[in-house]
Amino acid sequence: MADAATIDQIGKADIAIGLVPSSHDSAEVSAAIDRILESSPPVNAVLIHPPYAPDGAKAQRTGSRWSLLPDPQLAQDRAALAQSLGASYRAIFDSALKLGVRACAVVASDLPSVTADWAPLLLEPATENGFDLIAPCYARHRFEGLINRAIVYPLVRALYGKQIRNPLGPDVGVSAGLMRRMTSGSKTRMHPLVSLVAEAITGGMKICQAHLGARGYPPPDWSNLSSLLAQVLGPLFLDVERYAPYWQRAPESQAVPEFGRHQHVEGPETAVDVTRLIETFQLGAHNLHEIWGMILPPSTLVELQRLARLDRAGFRMPDETWARVVYDFALAHRLRPISRDQLLKAITPIYLGWVASYALEVESASPDAVEQRLEKLCLTYESARSYLVSRWRWPDRFNP
Amino acid sequence: MWDQVGQTLHESTVRVLSRIAGLLPGALALVLAVLVSAVIAWLAAIVLRRLLARIDFDERLDQWGLKSVAEWSPRESPSLLVTRAVSWSIILVGFTLGLAAFDAALSSRLAFSLFTYLPNVLTAILLVIVGGIVARYLARNILIEGVNMHLQYARFLSIGVKWMVMVLAVAMALEHLRIGSSIVRLAFGILFGGIVLALALAVGLGSKELVSRSLERESDRTATANAEEPFRHI
Repeated sequence: MADAATIDQIGKADIAIGLVPSSHDSAEVSAAIDRILESSPPVNAVLIHPPYAPDGAKAQRTGSRWSLLPDPQLAQDRAALAQSLGASYRAIFDSALKLGVRACAVVASDLPSVTADWAPLLLEPATENGFDLIAPCYARHRFEGLINRAIVYPLVRALYGKQIRNPLGPDVGVSAGLMRRMTSGSKTRMHPLVSLVAEAITGGMKICQAHLGARGYPPPDWSNLSSLLAQVLGPLFLDVERYAPYWQRAPESQAVPEFGRHQHVEGPETAVDVTRLIETFQLGAHNLHEIWGMILPPSTLVELQRLARLDRAGFRMPDETWARVVYDFALAHRLRPISRDQLLKAITPIYLGWVASYALEVESASPDAVEQRLEKLCLTYESARSYLVSRWRWPDRFNP
Repeated sequence: MWDQVGQTLHESTVRVLSRIAGLLPGALALVLAVLVSAVIAWLAAIVLRRLLARIDFDERLDQWGLKSVAEWSPRESPSLLVTRAVSWSIILVGFTLGLAAFDAALSSRLAFSLFTYLPNVLTAILLVIVGGIVARYLARNILIEGVNMHLQYARFLSIGVKWMVMVLAVAMALEHLRIGSSIVRLAFGILFGGIVLALALAVGLGSKELVSRSLERESDRTATANAEEPFRHI
């Protein structure tokens, strides 16, 4: 937690920015803090940052309206990403509310990729246009952010009816009203990042998204993919359960206002090798059919077994199958036929199968074609929502 | 002499018949006790079944994460398992009470030994149930993690761990029941010692190069996969 005496000393502020760096390199964090301090906000601003001994004198010397608030709790732990991000966001929201800010931006991407215009993009829609949540839009090539493309964005869009490209941020702008909602007594068990979008939508709050450009991230770790999936999907599926009364009656999806300039990033030119992905899917289909059988209905199991027999050239996972798999896992997360951790990890081979299928489809596609492909997947999720509603209401009914 | 033989036979017949006649009330009491306890057990089962159904016992057990208990019970219904356990316990108590009608000293000794042995039986049952749950959980975990780590022998590993834990649980249960405890202990010593020795020999001597080549290949493969991986999941 931030020091209460420092908060008292700062007094009141209008806006706040919280930094949750993935890096533990103090020089890198200090440099990022210095970059942010170089901007001159028109109102009193507080930078809540990890205590990496930044040049605090700079804020005083420039005579800017910045104040610094160190908080040792702000950090990302790659082994427990969801928990560490949750604790950091909660700490930032608490400090920001104590400072009485109107809006707060949280930056959790790799700091070298954070540019000076991120802060106004994430804060001005809240302070000037009255938006409660400013979700990010990143410029990504076709093979980036795959968990978001495959599951998070289509699922949130289909269930909650808002076309928010990155519902899990992690760089977001939040109004004081939404922060109060997230930290109020009965909501403390919610994940302050994952549940942000669902809480804003179900609370009827104003939502927009801001184009932030390219985003940096730490290098991937193959061996931890299933843990990563479990950490992302666990809170997401908890929200599906929590907001079931809302999404069973949610309207069709609608676009949200956007700020900033839409950008594209070119993907790798060389052909991608999906052999390992398909092999892992086939290994899963061969070994995990008993576990999948506790989660998926027979027709989906048969479809997955059929896919496992396809060769590389013809390997395509139908969107309908994939959407139903995700919905069935969300339902199983509620019903707990096996432990939740095992359940969330058991989706990994099917997810890798989807990645392989998607990679083969968009291997040489243009950015527009990739967008169209993603839109098609989202529409399939939306049309398959009735399947989830039906299974959610009558899980014991025979389902071939 | 024939008179004496006849008299002896007569006396022994009278003695045997009088003993049988003496046992008859006890036997009848035993049958009655078993019948009454069976009726009580039947009534208790009906009441208990309805009670458990009313509180959704099976569903609650699932919610508490004890789904595996269901796999041990008849027709995969934990309610049925509990009901039957209670019924048979009542019948057992009735049978023990019935035995008391035969001979007070004998029955009290029997009842005493039965009741002192009962905790061992319950502990053994608990050990096997917990062992089964742990074995299934570990096997499932290893299978999922193994597949996600792209291990071709994930299923083999999972089955191996499952049976190791199960055999260990059964051996511990037998130890508690005082059945062949020294044999079980010896068998385990040999089994685990053998496995450790086999692994040590495989890695240390016989298959040293093979194992190291295999490990290097797997490590290279993972490193290459990481380096060339064009996909960003986050």
